Amino acid sequence: MKRIVILLLVVTMLVPALFAAGKEEVKAIEVDANAPVTIDFWHAMSGTRIELIQGIVDEFMKENPNITVNVQYTGSYNDTLNKVKSAVKAGNAPQVFHSYEIGTLGLINSGIITPVDDAAKEFNLPINWDDFFTPVQSYYKYQGKHYSMPFNSSTPLIYYNKTMFKKAGLDPENPPKTYADIRNAAVALQKAGIKTPVTWNLHSWYFEQMICLQDAPFANNDNGRGAELPTKVLINGEAGKKVLDWWVGMEKDGLFLDVGPGWSNHRAAFVSGEVAMVMSSSSDVNLLTKGLKEKGWEMGTGYIPRPEGAKGGVAIGGGSLWMTNTGTPEQQLAAIKLIEYISSDEPQIKWHKGTGYFPVRKTAMDKLKAEGWFNENPNYLTAFNQLLDSPETLNTAGALLGVFPEARSIIQAAIQECYAGKPVQQALDESAAKINAAITEWNSVIKQ
Amino acid sequence: MKQSTFKADVLPYVLLLPTFIILIVFLFYPALETFRLSLFTVHPFTGAERFAGLYNFKNIFSNTEYMHSFGISFIFTVAVVLLGLAFSMMIALLLNERIKGMKYYRSFLIWPYALSPAIAGALFNFLFNPANGIIGYFTGFRTWLTQGSTAFLIIILAAVWKNLGYNIVFYLTALRNVPRDALEAASIDGAGPLRRFFSITFAFLSPTTFFLLVMNTTYAYFSSFGLIDVLTEGGPARSTNLLIYQLYRDFFVNSKTGYAAAESLVLFLLVVGITVLQFQTTEKKVHYQ
Repeated sequence: MKRIVILLLVVTMLVPALFAAGKEEVKAIEVDANAPVTIDFWHAMSGTRIELIQGIVDEFMKENPNITVNVQYTGSYNDTLNKVKSAVKAGNAPQVFHSYEIGTLGLINSGIITPVDDAAKEFNLPINWDDFFTPVQSYYKYQGKHYSMPFNSSTPLIYYNKTMFKKAGLDPENPPKTYADIRNAAVALQKAGIKTPVTWNLHSWYFEQMICLQDAPFANNDNGRGAELPTKVLINGEAGKKVLDWWVGMEKDGLFLDVGPGWSNHRAAFVSGEVAMVMSSSSDVNLLTKGLKEKGWEMGTGYIPRPEGAKGGVAIGGGSLWMTNTGTPEQQLAAIKLIEYISSDEPQIKWHKGTGYFPVRKTAMDKLKAEGWFNENPNYLTAFNQLLDSPETLNTAGALLGVFPEARSIIQAAIQECYAGKPVQQALDESAAKINAAITEWNSVIKQ
Repeated sequence: MKQSTFKADVLPYVLLLPTFIILIVFLFYPALETFRLSLFTVHPFTGAERFAGLYNFKNIFSNTEYMHSFGISFIFTVAVVLLGLAFSMMIALLLNERIKGMKYYRSFLIWPYALSPAIAGALFNFLFNPANGIIGYFTGFRTWLTQGSTAFLIIILAAVWKNLGYNIVFYLTALRNVPRDALEAASIDGAGPLRRFFSITFAFLSPTTFFLLVMNTTYAYFSSFGLIDVLTEGGPARSTNLLIYQLYRDFFVNSKTGYAAAESLVLFLLVVGITVLQFQTTEKKVHYQ
């Protein structure tokens, strides 16, 4: 009897506690929204973009006089991520940081972040996701929840030298669209005296995008977006082989100049007229247009090529803004306010004009159109249209993979092996096996 | 005359303390921590650790790519040490001549040492990059850095060039200590310039050569990171993926802390091992004055 009484007592004490715990999660946290607060914001945009971001944040501070934001450029995406990791361990993490798209699955599973959707709900600052371009917001959505705020989004584009196209008897207003088109254009340009007419830097990003274009998955478990973590990559299928057969084939036939990794060589080759066609990020529009203009050449842009009949589209690249789960509620509130501000129309328009990254919101786009911005700068529109012409599938949402940085270096080595003569299928099979081993390892470590 | 003495019980320790604090905080503790972590798998974000025994070591040694890096790092080191010592000894001999403006020649030949490896890499990139490298332009051959064998060669050249200044300074100092009367006596005895160099100069240079052998081996294993990162990123197809670069990628890019710790322990033991071996074999041939 005594035991039952005690048991009952315990239960009656526990049940309200349980409900209380449940309630607290739903209820918005009470914070003093006007108390002075300081937060840190670390980003990975170098050069003139440092000033641009500082300018945007200054505007934000003017509108929210109680919030002070310390903006810091912390090196490349990779450096920034490493600094955030050590800062978390040392207990002085920034409230907001910038990461590349391929860090997404790692960060979702990291245990160091607050999903933006959670923060928005907690502080009752809802985000109108319908106003974001679908491919942009769907990349950062995982299992129905947005984990980070899209910031700088880009896709690859084909850039071509219209003046040289004319010289080679090609139609400068009609950019090549398929693998065969690119190859034929390259042959014509070569006949017109350009030794190796095509190039792009050695980067796995193009390979990934060209798999998306065939609406094929890059990883299993719904392209890494399913309920289970992905366990293997699917790069060694039909789609991957098609991409490399064409890419490596052009290199072997002397149509494609291998400029190695990094982001400067292919730009330099294009701007100096060594080559007449490059693939590069849409955020290079500004730079390459200026470069060609100095030489008196006209530049055109086109969608990245696909095999005939392929029905997929591009996935976005670039970066997004993340909140760490550190700091006081006041700081968290300031953080979510900041990233919502950066994704709003005015800052996005400013950002777009300064860099070539496209605005992430439809309303921002409409304002740019109304201004007549795209009539003056038609090349800025290509990246948009390419994105909007992409169907919405799990494949074009972009693959998520915890070991993406490692996978990329393995794929890049495989492409170089193919240049040196290894058969494409063998190189892809071998690299898939290596990536799968890395994934198995990562999955076991991330759950520990 | 009374010699002034210090009490030997406390003072030496007090004087050594600052050095030891710095060594412990920045060297011994991190090194021990690294060795400890090589036995764990580590969560890439939170740093949570799980004991894994020799798991990391088993994995790296059963990885053919790691063994490949092992092999090319060794070839790289032998090449850098041999070429580096040979070139710098020759240059030092020339710089030891008495000709007009020698001060300036010396400064010019020593300054590469004052550059950081990343800057040295950038300079070689101007020369050899496939898009607009100067050497590519003049030779018509532009695949210097995009072909495995030539890329490896250029990394070696860059590493040798970068360390020339260091070696030359030491050789110049050593050459000052070669006694002129010994050389004169030899030439009176009828020894030609080659004979004089090998029997006398070289013997006097041997302690320096041994010291530089050890230092250059360490340099080749540990300091090539900047050059590789700027010039090839370990490519093409891993042909310049030396141990130190793989280590960097595993820690800073792939976030495999346990692996990286195991790799640094291996690299550490390797270089210690080579140094001990050098002391036991080569040093016997060294002639100390």
